[in-house]
Amino acid sequence: MNFILNLTFREIRSSWRRLLFFFLCIAIGVGSVVALRSLIQNLSQAVGGDARALLTADFEISSTNDFSPIEVQKIEDVLGKSTIIEARNEAITTSQMARPVDAANESLSFVELKGVEPPFPLVGNFTLTGGKPFDFSLLENGGAVVSPLLLDDLKIKVGDKIKIAEGTFEVRATFDEEPGGTRGFRLGPRVFIEKKSFDSVGITTGAGRIRRQILYRTSESPVEIVKQLRTSLKDTILRVQSYRDTEENFNEQFTRTENYLSLTGLLILVLGGIGVWNVARVFVEQKRKSVAVLKCLGANGTKIITVYLLQILTLGLFGSFFGVFLAQCFLWFARTQFNDALPTSMKYSINFSVAWQGILLGVLISLIFSALPLLQVRNIKPRLLLHDATGEKTRKLDTTKTIIGAVSLIGLLVLAVWQAGSLLVGAFFLVGLGVTSVFLYLAAVVLTIILRKFRGFSSFAITQAINSLYRPGNQTRIILLAVGLGAFVVLAVQSLQSNLVREFDFTRNQTLPSLFIIDIQKSQIEEVRKMLEEKTGEPAQTLPTIRARIAFVNGEPIDLTNRETRQQQGQIGREFAVTYRLNLDKNEEVVAGTWWNEISEVPEVSVEEDMARRLKLKIGDSMTFDIVGRKITTRVASIRKIDLRNTRTVFIFVFAPNVLENAPQTFAANVIKKLPETERQRLQRNLVDRFPNIQIFDVADIVAAVQKLVNNFVLAISFVGSFVILSGILILVGSIALTKSQRIYENAVLKTLGAKRLTLASILLAEYGLLGILAGIIGASFATALSFGVSKYVFDIEWEFDLGLTLLGVLVTAILVMVVGALASFDVLFRKPLATLRSQ
Amino acid sequence: MIELKNVTKIVRSGVEDLTILDDVSFTIPDGEFVAVTGASGSGKSTLLGLIAGLDAPSSGAILIDGENVTEMNEDDLATLRSTKIGFVFQSFHLIPSLTAFENVLIPMEILGLKEAKSRAKTLLEQVDLTNRGHHYPTELSGGEQQRIAIARAFANSPKILLADEPTGNLDSKNGSHIFDLMTELHKQNNVTLVLVTHDQNLAETAQRQIILKDGRVLSDNLNRRDAETQSFS
Repeated sequence: MNFILNLTFREIRSSWRRLLFFFLCIAIGVGSVVALRSLIQNLSQAVGGDARALLTADFEISSTNDFSPIEVQKIEDVLGKSTIIEARNEAITTSQMARPVDAANESLSFVELKGVEPPFPLVGNFTLTGGKPFDFSLLENGGAVVSPLLLDDLKIKVGDKIKIAEGTFEVRATFDEEPGGTRGFRLGPRVFIEKKSFDSVGITTGAGRIRRQILYRTSESPVEIVKQLRTSLKDTILRVQSYRDTEENFNEQFTRTENYLSLTGLLILVLGGIGVWNVARVFVEQKRKSVAVLKCLGANGTKIITVYLLQILTLGLFGSFFGVFLAQCFLWFARTQFNDALPTSMKYSINFSVAWQGILLGVLISLIFSALPLLQVRNIKPRLLLHDATGEKTRKLDTTKTIIGAVSLIGLLVLAVWQAGSLLVGAFFLVGLGVTSVFLYLAAVVLTIILRKFRGFSSFAITQAINSLYRPGNQTRIILLAVGLGAFVVLAVQSLQSNLVREFDFTRNQTLPSLFIIDIQKSQIEEVRKMLEEKTGEPAQTLPTIRARIAFVNGEPIDLTNRETRQQQGQIGREFAVTYRLNLDKNEEVVAGTWWNEISEVPEVSVEEDMARRLKLKIGDSMTFDIVGRKITTRVASIRKIDLRNTRTVFIFVFAPNVLENAPQTFAANVIKKLPETERQRLQRNLVDRFPNIQIFDVADIVAAVQKLVNNFVLAISFVGSFVILSGILILVGSIALTKSQRIYENAVLKTLGAKRLTLASILLAEYGLLGILAGIIGASFATALSFGVSKYVFDIEWEFDLGLTLLGVLVTAILVMVVGALASFDVLFRKPLATLRSQ
Repeated sequence: MIELKNVTKIVRSGVEDLTILDDVSFTIPDGEFVAVTGASGSGKSTLLGLIAGLDAPSSGAILIDGENVTEMNEDDLATLRSTKIGFVFQSFHLIPSLTAFENVLIPMEILGLKEAKSRAKTLLEQVDLTNRGHHYPTELSGGEQQRIAIARAFANSPKILLADEPTGNLDSKNGSHIFDLMTELHKQNNVTLVLVTHDQNLAETAQRQIILKDGRVLSDNLNRRDAETQSFS
């Protein structure tokens, strides 16, 4: 044992520089896993940790309609018996257009309006700019507390007045932190007003998309009372949600995100593992003589393997510790860079459990990836000290090697399953990684074979560079695999981004309107049409919209007591904007049933195909809609596919004529003509000044918001992709260091034969330039294939080959590899040849 | 005692079999100094390797103190080398990652000797390299490296010292110093010394000389001085 420990210590002391890359590979991999997992856990704690604050209550009852007296009675029946209700309040939210009262100021902004009543908030913090707590008197008598963003949008200051619908409000304060925080995608800044102002300014009359909430604070867990409410309200459209539901949903979402991010971290760690495997392989090769000497001196194979295994584990352990440190550095960096975008209450420290998991992963990956190369120690025979044998015969079927290989593979699967939190996802990850690696490796083999054919046709430097790629013990394929994989991830993401952004580029999409106007009352429609025609010179396209809700499917109500259905409640339980028309739209296609060409006696409806799938609908089924309290039963006549690319409006349900003509309806209008920004803004302002109840969507703003989302998404993936590239570069540098002695020897011989430094430098640059080009070609080809597949089959968007991006990707990869390769090997050029030749 | 019985070693060279040693038999009693000579490729180093159990013969048997080396597994061979055999190579074969002192220490640590460090110091003193113990092999001259290799070979007080051209890579002054050191230690410790050499002068200082040719024993004679000593005794 003494021998093992002493030799381990001595080996680490003398070989640590050579194994530095091993250490770094593990550190980067563990750092990625720990950083990504910690980031998402901290975010989860900050966002979802206090679910009560997020809901601003212990439970809420919400609806998109007014609460009917029967519904109120049902609620009272349940809550009247309860002793746990401490406080209650009501709130209304909707979106509206806001504009300054000052006529000279032509600004206009979409706002998310929330009407509240005291006591507010029931749970959570409401902090005004400057740190003062919110006081309800700020909202009384026409006051408004707004997001600071609104001041910028409307070019106003605190104390100025704004108009929302028919009402005028004085901006009395701005806030830093609002109860419930900023959740989800918002069209405009938040504005708080008094709830009773909603009716007084005419917001609640006729407008859609209004959400009414009754919120409750309880002295004990609301789980039981929520269950009772759900049972009592099961025949209504009311939604009952407790903070425990929010908590569950958040936890599920964050756990899923955390697991996927951990898999990304594991991918980087596996790349680090490839680096480890490479270092261990060459390390054993370099240690052959030492191993033979040790065997000659009486040490057996097991003892020697134990020494090197201990060495690897020690380095893996320290590398993992360093990785945890790197992860903490990353979190500090994230705090300085993304503080504005992340919640203020977010912590930037590493959880103990994440740290030890990372360290365990690092040590296990070190072990798994170095086990097979270390087994080679068994095959080193001491006789090589007598005859300088270059290789030992290995048995055709090495049982130990096969067993260790199988155990390593199972170990890797266990790690993947552990990180993914699912056997299926873990196995899919491993198989996916294996298949990708095999394809990348095969591509590397094919390209290097092709390259070899060019040896005779090129300059001395290039011929030598090509020869270098084939030198014994070369790392060419490993470098191509690792760097190619990094280039593949980054280029695939970039290519997808350019296709997605192109898809949302409304200047290219001639069918998208520039303005979309909704909530036009029947009495206003003619005047709106006239005004639009005057301003744009084109006839306005208008269409009726009716707000409807699904009441029954085939006579059965949708069961919202079931959690799965409740989770889909947002999609199926909401209020839909429906229309009626005789013709099929240009962007629509009937995939089942037939479109009505004449009016049927039975009321008919056409359903969008995703919704039909969700509701398990087929042709001939009956659907009953609730339209302002009136139940209308229809027959499903057709199922439509809507081409979202060329769409102006998406109607999930389209009714046949002669059903809804007399129902309460509003109109929507499109402005197709592409207007310059100033004209667009002026037209919007004129329309809102004349018809304060209407809402106008500037499509350019929506497209910009979506593009921002896509860009953030791409930034996040590119960030992770850059870790993959970093691992690839690390493997590259490690491989260069491992073959350095051969390079030094070759250079010494070439110098002796009269080669100048310039020639040697050219060979060096050509070698890494070629490697980089090959890695770039491999990465770009696979990225193009993946981008095509994902665009076509996942996003269902048009795909275009981006030649510029592909060429740039190959060029940048080539330059990166060339620069890193040259920097890591440049000292080789300055060595005196005699000493090198003598030492051989 | 070392006994070789009809030892043959055949290796595959390309598509042909090449006989390196052909039916070699001899016995070396304890404490004897034997020189093995012969032209390049005659099988000298292979013979030495087979005695040390560094390789296995194709046929025949090698016995060390009555134990059949050819029947031992790798671990038994390692134990044998660790306890009974010291080896000195032409190209030293020190472990480059260890200091001179640690190179001497290694065989004793493998065996788990308690007094390893003090003995290593004594051995360094014996080869006159006390001050060079903390140096790595690359920082030592060829002569110094070989002296360290000799100290290492004697570390576990082996009964047999096998030396494969120990002076082959050294200049004459250093070569002579190394040879003197080995023979002195051989006498002091009464170890069996088997020396493979090209140098006829060195070979003649041995008690017995075995000459190999094309893998066979061409001659196996006591040197004159030792023959005379034997005849008078």
